[in-house]
Amino acid sequence: MWVLRGLRDGILTSRWPARPDQYAAATRGPAASLARSGSAPDSGPAGEVTGLCPAGAISADQAGRVRVDQGSCISCGRCVQLRPDIFGWSSGPGSAALTRAGLVVPADESLEALAAVTDALRARTRALRRSVHLRHVDAGSDGSEEWEIMALLNPVYDIHRLGMFFTASPRHADVLLVTGAGANGMADPLRETYEAMPHPKVVIAVGTDAVSGGILSPSYATSRGVGHIVPVDVWLPGSPPSPFAILSAILLALGRLPASAGSHNLTSTGTAGGPR
Amino acid sequence: MTGFGSVLAAGLILLALAAGVDLLAGTRRPASRFVPYLLGAAGSVCLVVAGAGGVAGREVAIRSGAVLGGVAVGGHHLFSVASGLSADRLSGLFLVIAFGAAAAVSLSFASWAAGPAGPGRRGLGAGYALALGSVAVVLTAADAFTLLFGWESLTLAFWLLAGFNRGSPSRRVSALITLAFGRISGACLLAGLLLLVTRSGSLTLAGLAHVPAGPLRATACVLLLAGFAVKVGLVPFQVWLPRGYAAAPGPARAVMAGVSVNVGFYGLWRTLAVLGPPPAAVTDILLLLASATALLGIAHAAVQGSLQRVIAYSSVENTGLILAGFGVALVGAANGSRALMAVGLLAATLQVIAHTAAKSLLFAASSNVQPPGGSDDLDSLRGSVRRTPWAGTGLAIGSLTLAGLPPTAGFVSEWFLLEALMQQFRVPGLADRLVLAITGAAVALTAGFAGVTFVRLIGLVVLGRPASEQHATAADAGRAGRAGIVLLAVACLALAAVTPLEIRLIGAGLAPVLPTPAVTAALKSPWVVQPVFAGFSILSPSWLWVVMPALFVVVATLAWLASGSRLLRVRRVPAWRSATAGVSGHDSYTAFGFANPTRRVLAAVLHTRAEVSRLDHGTDSETADAVPAAPHVEYSSDVIEVTEQYLYRPLQRPFALLVRQAQRLQSGRLDAYLAYMLIALIAVLAVVTGLH
Amino acid sequence: MTAATDHELAASVAELWDRVTAHVAAGGRLADLFGTARDGGLLITAQLADRDGITTLDAMLPAGQASYPSLTPLVGSAFWYEREIHDMFGVVPQGHPRLEPLVLPASGPPLPRPGSDGGPARIDPDPRALPRHAIGPGLFTIPHGPVRSGVTESIEYLVETPGEDIPHLNMRLFYKHRGIEVRYTGMQAADGVLLAERTEGIASVAHAIAFCQAVELIADSEVPWRAALIRTLHAELERLACHLDVIVRLADGAGLAVATARFGWHKERVLRLTGQLSGSRFGRGVVTPGGVTSAPRLEPAGILTAAGDLERQVSADVRLLMGTASFLDRLRRTGPLPPARAAQHGALGPIGRASGGVDDARQSRPYAAYGSLGTTVSSRDDGDALARLEVRVDEIASSFHLIRQAADELDEAGPGPLRADSAAIGGAGTDGRALSWAEAPQGEVLYDVRIESGRITRCRSRSASFHNLVLMHEVFAGDILTDFPFIEASFGLSVAGAAG
Repeated sequence: MWVLRGLRDGILTSRWPARPDQYAAATRGPAASLARSGSAPDSGPAGEVTGLCPAGAISADQAGRVRVDQGSCISCGRCVQLRPDIFGWSSGPGSAALTRAGLVVPADESLEALAAVTDALRARTRALRRSVHLRHVDAGSDGSEEWEIMALLNPVYDIHRLGMFFTASPRHADVLLVTGAGANGMADPLRETYEAMPHPKVVIAVGTDAVSGGILSPSYATSRGVGHIVPVDVWLPGSPPSPFAILSAILLALGRLPASAGSHNLTSTGTAGGPR
Repeated sequence: MTGFGSVLAAGLILLALAAGVDLLAGTRRPASRFVPYLLGAAGSVCLVVAGAGGVAGREVAIRSGAVLGGVAVGGHHLFSVASGLSADRLSGLFLVIAFGAAAAVSLSFASWAAGPAGPGRRGLGAGYALALGSVAVVLTAADAFTLLFGWESLTLAFWLLAGFNRGSPSRRVSALITLAFGRISGACLLAGLLLLVTRSGSLTLAGLAHVPAGPLRATACVLLLAGFAVKVGLVPFQVWLPRGYAAAPGPARAVMAGVSVNVGFYGLWRTLAVLGPPPAAVTDILLLLASATALLGIAHAAVQGSLQRVIAYSSVENTGLILAGFGVALVGAANGSRALMAVGLLAATLQVIAHTAAKSLLFAASSNVQPPGGSDDLDSLRGSVRRTPWAGTGLAIGSLTLAGLPPTAGFVSEWFLLEALMQQFRVPGLADRLVLAITGAAVALTAGFAGVTFVRLIGLVVLGRPASEQHATAADAGRAGRAGIVLLAVACLALAAVTPLEIRLIGAGLAPVLPTPAVTAALKSPWVVQPVFAGFSILSPSWLWVVMPALFVVVATLAWLASGSRLLRVRRVPAWRSATAGVSGHDSYTAFGFANPTRRVLAAVLHTRAEVSRLDHGTDSETADAVPAAPHVEYSSDVIEVTEQYLYRPLQRPFALLVRQAQRLQSGRLDAYLAYMLIALIAVLAVVTGLH
Repeated sequence: MTAATDHELAASVAELWDRVTAHVAAGGRLADLFGTARDGGLLITAQLADRDGITTLDAMLPAGQASYPSLTPLVGSAFWYEREIHDMFGVVPQGHPRLEPLVLPASGPPLPRPGSDGGPARIDPDPRALPRHAIGPGLFTIPHGPVRSGVTESIEYLVETPGEDIPHLNMRLFYKHRGIEVRYTGMQAADGVLLAERTEGIASVAHAIAFCQAVELIADSEVPWRAALIRTLHAELERLACHLDVIVRLADGAGLAVATARFGWHKERVLRLTGQLSGSRFGRGVVTPGGVTSAPRLEPAGILTAAGDLERQVSADVRLLMGTASFLDRLRRTGPLPPARAAQHGALGPIGRASGGVDDARQSRPYAAYGSLGTTVSSRDDGDALARLEVRVDEIASSFHLIRQAADELDEAGPGPLRADSAAIGGAGTDGRALSWAEAPQGEVLYDVRIESGRITRCRSRSASFHNLVLMHEVFAGDILTDFPFIEASFGLSVAGAAG
């Protein structure tokens, strides 16, 4: 009976990244400053803008240029709602970055530095390109990132078609997905898991909590993200990041995303309400 | 006495010398501790040579005319020990098997006795020599009296060996049970042989064949089979085996379980040779009992907590397997199919050889693994390959053989056994076919559980993580012991490689039962064997021995090439335990826990009872215990031996009643005893005159 | 009707315990027990729940008093609450059966107690490692966690087993402790909802509703009808997602690949619908003190269509699943929680309702729009994993019904305000203390919020997961290791909420 039921609704699986996917393109990422490099809209007194963010993700430099640290953005939407002229939602799944600084948009990194990091990561993951095993560790998340990672196994995303598998033992794992703000209780287990993985290995910090501690830090019980516990290769913001974003971060780690020169953040000007 | 006869006599004399040295010199001087066993080893070698001569067809005999006299009454030779000892081909075969193992076991015994675990007083060497000597006498007995004499002295030797350790009361009970079952088997043999002797008029074993067919011959056959079956431990007589074997000290267990048990099998083969197959019903019953034995044996072996008991129950299992093959031979004999008989006997004899080598190896190694005076609980013996590498490796190889893994000899024999059972479709009768099918299923199931049992041994006892409380006192085998272990291990492995030669030897040895070409039909080509019937299936253990190492080398080479010389770079890390913060107590599978699924799956056979009882008296586990960290629950699990529980225990009461009645005869009054003797004499005279 | 701002102060801790014991003996339940640092001492608060509502009782443990008589021997459900108080404040409940660290690590240097300010500063952690509680031959402990197989939250189960059975089970929670309650202190009331959403991420909406209701009570403002409907809509979508997730885990444990895939697809559709309506797949950023932030981005007609499609397919698959005998066999009599025990402990949510309980905060203490929409409570008596699944299946059906009703009412209500006057709420003038609740998919969550001059001074959030997780110790009667995933999945709790 179940076999017939399974055939009933046809193929549900997305073809992304081979073919474009509408939902993926419309995925709402963290907030972003609408400023393009070069133009600086009138942002008013700096304190007014930076005080909007409860997580402290907004900064303004001396030139008055407003920048959003997407790694600290918890997607509360306050800045977009109150100052839609400066802030908007980024869309698309490509919000991951290879360096922590790369998450601050508009990005300031030099192309050469980014290329060096990209090439080093590519060289390390050469053997993993077509078949990779993922191990997830929860270092103090709120439970929603685990849902989004588990969603990768449902028929809509189905990462098995991309040669990715989840494994129980870190000894068989290539990629370590870490969620959560780096709870002190999980510091040692996380380190042990990292040590137990054989080279070459890649660590992806999944979610704003893992990248910067989100709104939970400062706290006696967490460190500011997991970057203080294990060396992170790919930083993926989002609260929580959608499955397409997680998938794109993994593909970025493996060097399977088409390398676009410049920032990997696909920023677009959205309307104040943001896309779906 | 011929040349080989003198070798036979030399062997027996060396054994007697060994007993003498032990009794006279005792254990005070260090040299005298191991000399008896070295003498025994030399004696065993002589007996092997004599046996080889016997298999080759040479005459091997000690005529007692040269040694003792005889008594003649009327025209009959009563107590005619004129026959003496002689080894025909069958005896020679079993001499080679038993004393080949005995030589290696003796070496191991020598080094164990000289070590710290050795016996503290005289007597063990004498018991050991008596056992070996009795085995030799039984194997080479040419007449009924000598056979019985040897049998009884073997029972005595077993009692001496099992009861040697005076320490614990359970050992006394075990020795008594060993003695009791030994006497029962002796009684059955006596009854059977007497029946045959009276009808055939001659005491010689060869002469017993002339008894005409009829109920008397059938009854005698059954009695003889029963007697030998008690010795090897067929259900329901297997209850003494685990107790007796576990009670004996050190490598004495190997003497009992590896060497001496072969007299039982020899007896069964000899019964088949002399009297032919028993009635068909008896054969079917034998097959069913054999499958029950195999299953019961392995079920208990899988769940025991003590190393010696695991190995002892594995003996029970192997008895079942060997008798299954023997049953196939009986079916073949009853149906006149020589090929079926050949494949059955071949399978059984191969299993005898493999079992002898492996069991001797297991018991010899286990006596070194277990620290002197320490417990043989499996959990405390973990990681023994690190403390006692030689003994641990011996344990591993013995386990692999009994588990039937290629390329060991155990694999070949189990293959033959399963092939023999698969020939059931060639048998005309439905009952036989059905019983053979059931036996085949039971044997296959047994082979599966044997895997589980021996994986536990190898994985936990040989290779496991050593327990925190280290028994530093477990001493590895000395030089002689290592030689013994190496010999037996090589036998376990190499016998598989030279299977065709083995089959030729067995073919020669089984000549009194069926013609040699019938057995050697199992050789399809010089290095390929088949189950006697052509076109059914083939196996080449010799080629396995070539191909498996070759494959290993090929894979290793490929791995080395593909890894770019990183193959041997090793990173030593602790095992992954889910990054836990640590637990108190054992944190990985204990031997008990590993066997627990088996306990549950085989609950029908083992009558497993598991119970979780709350130690507190409240229903609310959070509030009930006043003392923090006091245990809440107690877990207990029990298995019972079904034959003991349902056969022997109910018989205890009527038996005790009978004994109490019989004790009335032991009034202690001289006139009563004289009256009994008078009554007995009158009765005998009446019977004798009545018969004539 | 979301609860009282009033609370009583008992004369002493002993009197408080008397009140609690009497309440429990009369058939009520202990809903929460926590501490607040006050003037160098400790203010112990107990929330007592019964059919009519929840009463708050306080008692003061003066400065310098480092211990008090434990409540656990009298009322068993205080077991974990007192351990948490001990961890956070360092006071010792005398007579507690097993005082080990619960939310803080057992090893490591003794921490200053995080919850106290000037209270008893350092108490050394209990030096014993978590001891074993079952004795017998061959028993060993399998440490299952914190890094477990599969994508799961970090918690460690210490399974004491002789190889197949599970006579006893221990848990270590401290791995995921994030110190959320302390983080609240000093936050603006409007920012507190962000933290509330991230306490138990899969029950964001319920936590946000409970928190916002408490703030609204303090600010004495009324939520507009449209906002109440939108809150209800998102709460029910969240309930759907959680229950579908439980079914996915159960089907996965049983190896029903097609069922796992289909229910995973349904859960994905629910999350996408939630994202479509609110911009966040988990309904975050919708609920705010005073109302909601924005209207759903689909018209009610669109919501009805989407929900209707989902309901048809989900019900069909659920019917097939509940007819798969091999699946039901794995769940029947697995992980039984006796009704008496559940009542004694006051088990919340589907776990309590599957063991004979009838309490559902949506019906007994209605909030948001539930009072007008009406809720049916489903209940079973068996208490095994199958009963818990059946309760969730019923709740899925009633959630769809509620969603349809809410969409209809939204349509009828037409345009209108979405928030009460936002300036008053959370502003500098807000002062007070209130208790509020919501029925999360795991059970009732309680928020006891104290605000001074618009800043939170103490926010106690008690999730249903914390209250219910302790029952895991007791549901393994007669089960074996392979039943463990079913029992864990049928509980459906969130470790993030339990560990705090």
